[in-house]
Amino acid sequence: METKHTTVSIPKPLYEKIQGRIKNTGFTSVSDYVTYVLRQVISELEEDQEEPFTREDEEKVKERLRSLGYIE
Amino acid sequence: MLLVIGIDAATWKIIKPNIDRLPNIRGLMDEGIYKTLPSDKRPISASAWCSIFSGKMPEEHKNTDFVVDGELQTREKIRVDFIWDVLDKQGYDVKALNIPFVIPPYNFNCGFKPVGYGLPETPGEWGEELHEITEKSLEILNGKPDLLCVAYSLLDRVQHFHWGEEEFITRWYEKVDKAIGNLIPYGDKLIVLSDHGFCNREEAEVQTLPEKTPRGEIKGDHHRDGILITKNVDFEINRLQDVYFAIKKEIKNG
Repeated sequence: METKHTTVSIPKPLYEKIQGRIKNTGFTSVSDYVTYVLRQVISELEEDQEEPFTREDEEKVKERLRSLGYIE
Repeated sequence: MLLVIGIDAATWKIIKPNIDRLPNIRGLMDEGIYKTLPSDKRPISASAWCSIFSGKMPEEHKNTDFVVDGELQTREKIRVDFIWDVLDKQGYDVKALNIPFVIPPYNFNCGFKPVGYGLPETPGEWGEELHEITEKSLEILNGKPDLLCVAYSLLDRVQHFHWGEEEFITRWYEKVDKAIGNLIPYGDKLIVLSDHGFCNREEAEVQTLPEKTPRGEIKGDHHRDGILITKNVDFEINRLQDVYFAIKKEIKNG
């Protein structure tokens, strides 16, 4: 059966620091916390690569909404 | 992995009489459970997709339209947590692609530029939307997330302008069927649904568009009766909001 997880190594002091940090939070393990943080980082990086939504884009959307009859 | 495929405006009125031309949908119906999924009282896409993925009633999420007071509605103005927000916080790998509760449609944890800002107007753009969303979905699915929610919007536009032309519309259903056939094998668990159905403009409970538009005459409009097909989902879905709870339960059950 295919396993959904793999192991990565992090320095022990960092591991212990995270252990302290997640006490009394919703995170039940260091792995969960590290996964959460890494996903946030990757997601932000991907968002940064996206082109910003400009005023010009907004006008183009409104033009399409008008063309399709959603707005007058 | 759980795969949720939204097909905006898909209706049994086209699917059932033409089922022999839609082998992937037919296969899912044979293997899973299917039924009519009634939309909220006002079958409007912005509101319905919001209900589906937030589990909230329209009075709670208050997302009534793509444009509010002359301004485009945005994710930030909708004060609810969606299923991807909740599961992401719990450490699951979740993605949402092209979900049209706002325009341009919303993406979560993935970058995607929707075709025509999520409002494809021409047959060329309808085909492009099908291709782009399918390709992006495959890229995401190959990364083996816990959940992908993806929606195609083209059939809504096809039917608004061509309702009554069954052969023309069915050809677009065939293309959608072929596209989702590429995605289906990735889902151990599957939910395929529409946010509302379709009917003649005169029969529609709500007229979402005027009869004449710069793009042409509006021949069809939204009907409450949407579609639902599930496979390996052990949760009774009877309302749009139930989809949220079904996803939550299935993801937690692994």
